[in-house]
Amino acid sequence: MKYFYSHLIAIDSIIEELDEMDLSDEEKIHLGQLLDSSLHHTILDAILSQLSDSDKRAFMQCITEGNHDKIWKFLNEKTARVEDKIKKAAKDLKEELQEDIEEVHKLK
Amino acid sequence: MQFSSKKPGFEYLRKKWSARHRASQNRFWEKHGEALKQVAIGSLGGLMLLTPAKSLTVQTHLFASRDDVLKGYDKNVLLAESLSDKIPKDLSPLEKQEEMSIVETLSKSFGFKVTAQIDNIRLNRNFGLIGGEQHLLRYPGDNLYAHADTTVDWAKYGSAGMAPGLGAWGYFAPSKSEFTEIAKQREKYYLAIQTFLVPGYAENVAKYRDFFKFRKMLVVNPKTGQAVVAVIADAGPAEWTGKHLGGSPEVMDVLGLSEGLRQGPVLYFFIDDQSDQVPLGPVKVTEKLAKI
Repeated sequence: MKYFYSHLIAIDSIIEELDEMDLSDEEKIHLGQLLDSSLHHTILDAILSQLSDSDKRAFMQCITEGNHDKIWKFLNEKTARVEDKIKKAAKDLKEELQEDIEEVHKLK
Repeated sequence: MQFSSKKPGFEYLRKKWSARHRASQNRFWEKHGEALKQVAIGSLGGLMLLTPAKSLTVQTHLFASRDDVLKGYDKNVLLAESLSDKIPKDLSPLEKQEEMSIVETLSKSFGFKVTAQIDNIRLNRNFGLIGGEQHLLRYPGDNLYAHADTTVDWAKYGSAGMAPGLGAWGYFAPSKSEFTEIAKQREKYYLAIQTFLVPGYAENVAKYRDFFKFRKMLVVNPKTGQAVVAVIADAGPAEWTGKHLGGSPEVMDVLGLSEGLRQGPVLYFFIDDQSDQVPLGPVKVTEKLAKI
């Protein structure tokens, strides 16, 4: 599933670390859903925080339509340097998640 | 499906990440909930990963299952029903009459032209056993982890692994910087077809190679009606395997064949799409089917 911000958030490193853990398919999917949904909420929060209430609603409407070009056109018109804000929000969360994985290694 | 695990590493992350997830949900709705009140709740449901913090709990939404293997159902089930008396009971190749009837049904069902023959070229068969393939290298330096847009993608498709060699046409792009969305979709939804068994292939290698390169095809699981539009990106499988074609991990998932032996009988035909209008990926039966 590709989201409009997928190209901005490199998740390779965190996936690689999860891949090294002894996880069943169900466990991988479970953690994956938690991670993806947390990222989604965090990134949308970072974007919506830049918008007025009416623009928030218009942006959500763009998302429901699923047209990535339209979403980016809207964001580029309404916000400044939104890509940087998305990258920063994702990076901060990923760092926290990676710290959690490091804690798992200490459990051994 | 709810499950428990005795693995301390998994349990640690599950608890920690569940708490983080709840916190990100709460933060989101506290900050923006008032402004989004007027957005229809039905629209919010369409936002996939965005879940209301209170009305839909983490547990109900996120406890994982492979139930989504059935996601291609709905109207496609009607297609399965209409195909049930058209396909052979075993895996024998289609008779001409069967082929014509199925091609007509599929074209009407999906709203684009499905055909067994283009430019006098046809496959050795159009009904056979598909088996799961591995991911293919898309550009020099590509790796398995880079294939996933989301962590769930990795969880679902990563275990298929990466093929040691390249696809039949080499890399999908000469470099990472030249790797396009089209190239990405082609690897995601690719087929390995026994092009070497196609009548006339040995006498027309160059012509047939050009014809088959990323040729668009429709693949249908006749038992469920689940269907996918994919391209030919590899040659195979070898005859001795008993399989007649191969599908990428994503193709197998769409067809509902990603579990267990990762194989099953499918119908596969060319799509006559000269203006390149039919997108790759899962395809749903149109409303017209009910009238067939």
